[in-house]
Amino acid sequence: MAPTQAPNPSSLKTTFPPLTRATTLPSVSRNLATDRTLLTPEDAMYQGSPPRKQSAAGNKLQKELRMTNGENGDASGMPRRGRNKDRIRSASRRGKRVWSKLLWVKQSYPDNYTDQATFLEHLQRNPRLQPYDFWPLVADSTVIVQHVCSVIIFIVCFVGIFHRRIAPEAVVGWGSVATILGWVLWDWWVGQEESSKPLAPAIPPPPPSSISAGSSTSNLNGNPMLSRHSKSASTSSINSQALHSTPRAPNFPPSSPMSHRTSLRLSTAKSALLIYFTLLGLSPILKSLTRSTSSDSIWAMSFMLFTINIFFFDYGTPAPSSSINTGNKNIPASLSTNAALMASTVLASRLPSTGQVFSLTLFSIEVFGLFPVFRRYARQRDWRGHVALTSFLVVGAGGGVGLILGRGGDGEGLLDFPWKSGLLGVLIGVVGTGLAMGGCSWWLIGLQKYKNEIHGPWDPARPVIRRQWDDY
Amino acid sequence: MPYNIAMVSDFFFPQPGGVESHIYQLSTKLIDRGHKVIVITHAYEGRTGVRYLTNGLKVYHVPFLVMYRSASFPTVFSFFPIFRNIVIREEIEIVHGHASLSSLCHEAILHARTMGLRTVFTDHSLFGFADAASILTNKLLKFTLSDVDHVICVSHTCKENTVLRASLDPLMVSVIPNAVVAENFRPLFHPSYPNLSEFGTNVVPLPQHLGHHDTITIVVISRLFYNKGTDLLVAAIPRILANHPNVRFIIAGSGPKAIDLEQMLEKNVLQDRVEMLGPVRHEEVRDVMVRGHIYLHPSLTEAFGTVIVEAASCGLYVVCTQVGGIPEVLPAHMTVFAKPEEDDLVAATGRAIAALRANKVRTEDFHDQVKKWYSWTDVARRTERVYDGISGVLSEADFYGYEAADAASWSATRGRAGVQSFALIDRLKRYYGCGIWAGKLFCLCVVIDYLLFLFLEIWAPRDAIDIARNWPKKVKKERAISAGSTFR
Repeated sequence: MAPTQAPNPSSLKTTFPPLTRATTLPSVSRNLATDRTLLTPEDAMYQGSPPRKQSAAGNKLQKELRMTNGENGDASGMPRRGRNKDRIRSASRRGKRVWSKLLWVKQSYPDNYTDQATFLEHLQRNPRLQPYDFWPLVADSTVIVQHVCSVIIFIVCFVGIFHRRIAPEAVVGWGSVATILGWVLWDWWVGQEESSKPLAPAIPPPPPSSISAGSSTSNLNGNPMLSRHSKSASTSSINSQALHSTPRAPNFPPSSPMSHRTSLRLSTAKSALLIYFTLLGLSPILKSLTRSTSSDSIWAMSFMLFTINIFFFDYGTPAPSSSINTGNKNIPASLSTNAALMASTVLASRLPSTGQVFSLTLFSIEVFGLFPVFRRYARQRDWRGHVALTSFLVVGAGGGVGLILGRGGDGEGLLDFPWKSGLLGVLIGVVGTGLAMGGCSWWLIGLQKYKNEIHGPWDPARPVIRRQWDDY
Repeated sequence: MPYNIAMVSDFFFPQPGGVESHIYQLSTKLIDRGHKVIVITHAYEGRTGVRYLTNGLKVYHVPFLVMYRSASFPTVFSFFPIFRNIVIREEIEIVHGHASLSSLCHEAILHARTMGLRTVFTDHSLFGFADAASILTNKLLKFTLSDVDHVICVSHTCKENTVLRASLDPLMVSVIPNAVVAENFRPLFHPSYPNLSEFGTNVVPLPQHLGHHDTITIVVISRLFYNKGTDLLVAAIPRILANHPNVRFIIAGSGPKAIDLEQMLEKNVLQDRVEMLGPVRHEEVRDVMVRGHIYLHPSLTEAFGTVIVEAASCGLYVVCTQVGGIPEVLPAHMTVFAKPEEDDLVAATGRAIAALRANKVRTEDFHDQVKKWYSWTDVARRTERVYDGISGVLSEADFYGYEAADAASWSATRGRAGVQSFALIDRLKRYYGCGIWAGKLFCLCVVIDYLLFLFLEIWAPRDAIDIARNWPKKVKKERAISAGSTFR
């Protein structure tokens, strides 16, 4: 109850309606208290822990213990008067002094006295509640859809290679072409960003030269605000110095950004070639890696690893202010990437020939290492491209699953044509994805009304420390 | 009327701590008031079986698996046989559990209700509602406190917290603060404690006045943990020392944040102005405190904050953060409150230093005031009133504060005189309200507990259990008390 609502002394002389539960309770909490099973402050005061009969005396008790924080400001002024009357009566019964919430004062009230005016006055419920809207939720869920679809596409490619329905060279060829295209697009975007901020610090954000670049570029935000971007770019360069495998000049002159970028491109190409040849050398070893393990174990293991990948993937957009803390934030992301790479390695070890093993492993690096970095950046840069990419991935995943599971083109039936099952898969995939996105968003919004966060003076305070000791 | 009381908690001596000394002091004072008190705790290293402490306080160290930080492993029923044996042997009427993290206490309350005893629970700590550990503890607390006769909290904030956590009726929660043994926390020079120097003369110096260039010493005694606000301390000390040249710090205590503190000292080269004492024993706390003028307490959460009362009793001016139950504990003329922020803590310490230098604070009066406010005798008297209330000695109108006319129809679950009914069906009703699944689970536990009780009654009949003889001193004391009352 706000202090401005102090009761008017003259109002005490007026007659009161009978104080029953219905008149004293605020209307909002009455509705809440009837059909919930969750613990709320009202429960603490209205029901007590023992389920008690609603006797007349019980009503009286509840009236005395009515919650008095700011929530029932919408209730009429009548309960206030009732409480004040009570208080005066009880005070006159036990002594004239007003009860105060102090322990060092010897009070004339019993120890279990509960002051209605101050009890739980500092209670806050859901102080930081942000109601969700439907369409932003759906838009945000596209990130998850993209990742799940890329995992499905990878599995489809594996199954295709395993059943010799797709040539591994085609998979890795198309994958590499797409990767190079994505990198060119990335490079162009980075160039655009640099030209849009000519006065920014010298060190530009690093290109996606290797997988480790994923963590450093996650600090970037596409927001072209100069101050924010320069800050995140400089911090990302600090991170990338630690993470990068390729050495690079730390103090590059700001006068020649083009040559710097050229050297970065060269180092990217160098690390790409390094990965290529390392994989080529490792492929024979990978091929015989799990020869002594049965295929069933491999399927189960890779399923679990992909599940880990999906659940621990870093779907969030990096907050520009918290770029210092990205060291912590990258741990689940790296767990996810490692799980996916391990899954693809054990899957690849099921394949019979070295060329297939090599193709699948390289493809997995492209899908799980580089593609998420590109997706994250593309989402911040170009929203329409992001939506287009999402639809493309959904269609691809649906069609791929349809082709793998279906048996189109085997000459049976009337409406038989080679892409029948693929088209069916696309249809089911698109409809299913749409329903899932909408349904989950709607469900989450529906669940939000059960949110009941209680804060009060008993919570540990958050210390506000102005100056950080930056050496530890 | 004297009661036979069993204090049950996982936390008791030889382990040092606030709950431990609370139980000991309360028990001692209750024994002084003519009651019989025993303490039941789990076995500590080298301490199993029955021990007697000063004043005839009997301690049962029950062998139990200790899980974490001397909290025993929560097995719901395994404590029952030995607990029943002790209760019958000692003719216990009231079971008083302490500390919400003690599973021994929760089990004892459950079994005591099954056996038809009165139960009281004292909560010493604050819990949030957000993290997983708190949610689990709160559910367990709700289980135990669904069927308890009365709850005691150490501060009003603690009461609000407990009422919310366990969905209690606020009227069955009493606020009885902690206390200090004022004799153990006396100032350096005080008229009521003749200060014998080595020559045997009584030295009572004049009240000291601090000039503008005298050194002011700030004392910090706390475990160096995050929730004790050590980060704030680390941030504030260099700034306080930079603002005030004639200020020294004495820091006692150990913990994981001690390294941060030492790094700060190294970095700012403050070793000659900040003295780190490391861990000190509870008996030595007073000797550390009286070396200073200001006690700084930067804690982030605190149910009561006994240490600031101890500091005030030693005649120190207290600077503390305004969190938890701390604002209720000491009046404004003894304390300077700060928000839990670095800037505000520095400013509050500056205000305290200025007030001391201007001789505006009469610290020599603090000891007598604290002694008057916080005494264990008073705590024992107020606790006795709770026992009276739940045993039906006090009428419901007196204890719960209703008019007598309402008493009969007040509650379906309270039996005579404002006391909760022991009937199994009433208990089950109370437990069932704990939640959809939890309610059924709790009911199941209670039913099993009851069956276990019936089994124990057959397997180990009451007649076969010897009744323990009481400590002889108690009888003498009772006679003295009764004699004293007849003379009066």
